[in-house]
Amino acid sequence: MLRAEPLLRIQLLMLASEAQDAALALARFGAFNPAPCTLEALEESPAAAYRDAWLEAESRLAKLVEQCGEPRPLHLPENAEAPVLAELQELNRWLKGAWNSCLAGHESEVQVEEALGHLDALEETLNKLERLNVDLAHLLRQDSLLAVHIGSLPSTAVKRVTEALSMTGHLVSSFDQVGEQVFAVIAGPRARHEEVHGLLAQAGWREMPVPEELRTHPQAARTWLEQERARLKAESGAECQIMDGLREQFGPRLYEARLRLALARPLAEAAVVGVRGQGGLAALSGWIPRQKLDALRELLEARFQGRYMLNHRAPVASEVAEVPSLVRYPGWLKPFVPLVKSYGVPRYGEFDPALPFAVTYLLLFGAMFGDIGHGAVILLLAAALYQRLGSMAWVGIAAGAVSMLFGLLYGSIFGYEDIIEPLWLSPLHDPIRVLTIAVAFGVGFIVFTLLVNARNKFIAGHVGEALFDSTGLAGLVFYLGAVGSMVSLAGSADLGLPANLMAAAGILVVAGFKWVEAKAGLGERMLVTAIETLETGINLFANTLSFMRVAAFSLNHVALALAIFTLANGLGTASHWLTIVLGNVVIIVLEGGIVAIQALRLMYYEGFSRFFNGDGIEFMPLRLSPERVKS
Amino acid sequence: MSAYLNTRVSLYAGRLWQDEALDTLVGVTEDTFVDTLARRGLRGLVPGFGAPAGRQQETRSLEQRIIAQVLDETRVLIRPLSGNARTFMTYWTARFEVSNVKTLLRSKMTGESPAAVLSQLTPMGVFGRLDNQDLAHAEDVGELLRRLEAGPYAGIVRHARRAIELSHDPFNLDAALDRGYYEGLIARGQPLEDTLGLPFRGLMANLIDRINLVWLLRYRFNYKLPPAQVYYLLVGSRYSLTGARLQQLAALDSLEAVLAALPQPWLSRLSGATDIPDVFFRMEHAAAEQALRVLRSNAPDIARAFAYLILRERDLRGVRAALRGRHLGLPDAHVRQALHRTPAEAG
Repeated sequence: MLRAEPLLRIQLLMLASEAQDAALALARFGAFNPAPCTLEALEESPAAAYRDAWLEAESRLAKLVEQCGEPRPLHLPENAEAPVLAELQELNRWLKGAWNSCLAGHESEVQVEEALGHLDALEETLNKLERLNVDLAHLLRQDSLLAVHIGSLPSTAVKRVTEALSMTGHLVSSFDQVGEQVFAVIAGPRARHEEVHGLLAQAGWREMPVPEELRTHPQAARTWLEQERARLKAESGAECQIMDGLREQFGPRLYEARLRLALARPLAEAAVVGVRGQGGLAALSGWIPRQKLDALRELLEARFQGRYMLNHRAPVASEVAEVPSLVRYPGWLKPFVPLVKSYGVPRYGEFDPALPFAVTYLLLFGAMFGDIGHGAVILLLAAALYQRLGSMAWVGIAAGAVSMLFGLLYGSIFGYEDIIEPLWLSPLHDPIRVLTIAVAFGVGFIVFTLLVNARNKFIAGHVGEALFDSTGLAGLVFYLGAVGSMVSLAGSADLGLPANLMAAAGILVVAGFKWVEAKAGLGERMLVTAIETLETGINLFANTLSFMRVAAFSLNHVALALAIFTLANGLGTASHWLTIVLGNVVIIVLEGGIVAIQALRLMYYEGFSRFFNGDGIEFMPLRLSPERVKS
Repeated sequence: MSAYLNTRVSLYAGRLWQDEALDTLVGVTEDTFVDTLARRGLRGLVPGFGAPAGRQQETRSLEQRIIAQVLDETRVLIRPLSGNARTFMTYWTARFEVSNVKTLLRSKMTGESPAAVLSQLTPMGVFGRLDNQDLAHAEDVGELLRRLEAGPYAGIVRHARRAIELSHDPFNLDAALDRGYYEGLIARGQPLEDTLGLPFRGLMANLIDRINLVWLLRYRFNYKLPPAQVYYLLVGSRYSLTGARLQQLAALDSLEAVLAALPQPWLSRLSGATDIPDVFFRMEHAAAEQALRVLRSNAPDIARAFAYLILRERDLRGVRAALRGRHLGLPDAHVRQALHRTPAEAG
């Protein structure tokens, strides 16, 4: 049976100056999950500055790579060492300088673009001013009593600025709009000119310089505009050359920077959970698989030759909730693991439900959707979509195959029940038997989950709950007794007295346990005990009946097919086959989807919720790749 | 939805303090203090306060815990809301994130390290819409503004960008961001005013009028800005202090003249006020009284929820004053005085 690998808590003490290399070695080791260091004597966080520098450098590198491009795949040499803090800070400074150069170049490009846009607007303005027949030279005279501004401001600010300026005797007259910028003339008494400066700055007013050239003859203004445009384009070309030059200049070292930062990543990452230190010492804590201990010792010895101390111990009961869970699944089971983990990660030491999940899920799906034809379509579709679905396609392939198997057992192919003989039974012709089998399956499943829960509780040290609780062995005794009583009542077996005694004993133990566990006054205690004991019986009864849906869906499958055939038989030949084909498509898509969800629901709520906390921590080893870097 | 919100607001309302009740936090033993806070659902504000760390850090941590408390209660209240109501209530929390934007921009102006900036930002939890890590690592103000303009606060930041480009004055930055935020709040509140009617409109009116009048007084008489600029910096409003009224007020030359020119009921409420904190206190007191009336009435649940949040934040400011006073060992009389005159951080 699958179970989490036994882990050891290790504490690696080394020289603080070698902490980055130790983290790198552990990342290369590939089986070290960092955890907070609990050594209280070590009060400092020697890797905090390292992480800060790394984060800054990484952020700058990402921006530079985006700007300059650095497509080469990264290859980390085996013997490469991680940079020390000073080297990392130096690299960070270089990246800062490089990014600022790029930024300046980029900013210049943006400014040239903005200036060209402004020139366009100016030309538009000139067109408009020409039409207005305004003498700009006269309008913009410095010695006039009227102060005039020509410029632009955000369209959202126009109303407010107009209202505010009216308080100072100024007028705002808009004459054009380009995008969100409104071009306007602001005029007012020169004596109150000073009052509006702050307001215009606040409002994002951008003064439009009207050069002398524009204040003369329109033809001369146009010539000036053309010259200015040519100058800006030349400037833009020069900026492009500068950017190309920067790319050439920085490109080669960017690869080196990527390499250094990749080597520094492990310590920066380990610092998230905390690398502790004091003086010249640093300590890294975490979890490794027990069987890897010797390999780790060898690795550290080879790398640090005695300049380290490695302590290890097995996890203690009180920290089980914090121990990560490492389960190695066989390849064929891996596609089902995400479905289990979407519910939660098993705690360390808990029963891992992936294997029973895979088996039961497929069984339930096949039983509810048993049809050779429909199963084959699902199988082929999943296989065809393998590239897109990845390993999850195997879930579809397996579900299709099991559906085909049950189709063979039910004698059903594309809904036709009369083409092949059923190897086992036809749900439509023997519905009571199907219902009985489904409920029997449910009983078996619930017994299994109760046993697993008792085991989990026992391993976690909750012996009382494992033995006496409603989801423990006492609950199991009650459940088996109750099932026996029901079977006797149905006349299928004569288990009456022993079954009743078993059920009574089980429920009394459960009630006794609830009584002991309820920490309250007498009245409340009685109420809690009564309700929780009653709930035990109701829940188990309801959970068992839940499995009737397996039979219901297998019947539903046949009934849907019958409905389609009835519809098709009333139509002509072409319409008949069209209805059959479309009907089968509907069955596969709609019913197939519903059945897939129902099977998952049964697993999650009738199965997992009974024994699976799902609040475990996944084993996440320190790696060289950027999988778990964000803080 | 209605039953949930109604019940939630009623339950939460039981935790609020009357003004006098805040006094019970002063001059009591540590146990009584903690117990009093716990009974009001504020146990989370106590642990760690006073831990051996830098004083500035402690204060920041307290601020962060207070904001976390407000955000947590807002999260619970908006659970059943959708559409305009949810948008408005979510935006109400955004002022904390706008504060983060200010902190980020200031830090880039002063060249603080990303780690230092990040430690100052208020964690927004589920209400967070900014990638603080990414923004803190921007190289300078220009890059930061470009990143912000590509985010959820583009509208607010765009105003600030022009203001910063033209003058590197943090005042311009704060004023532009605050104005942008409150104009956004009015825009989001408008559809609710239409559907929820007077109770909600009254809360908004009190809030915006208070902000406008206090800003006007500060800009005009503390910062000595010209009237036109003062008017421009105020929030466009349709409440009792309309645009035309604010223009008139901004043109006046003294605090007394402004207060004398106010319309009723502000005229009587503020008569005799001698300074801007006093004006703020009286306006906030009036707003709290009105919020309490809405909370206790059969007003629409969303209006009651908004009233509760207004009152809760006021309470929390009082608790903050009591905690700080206690921590700094201030005389009880000073703390009591502060409890009755605790200005808001924002606005």
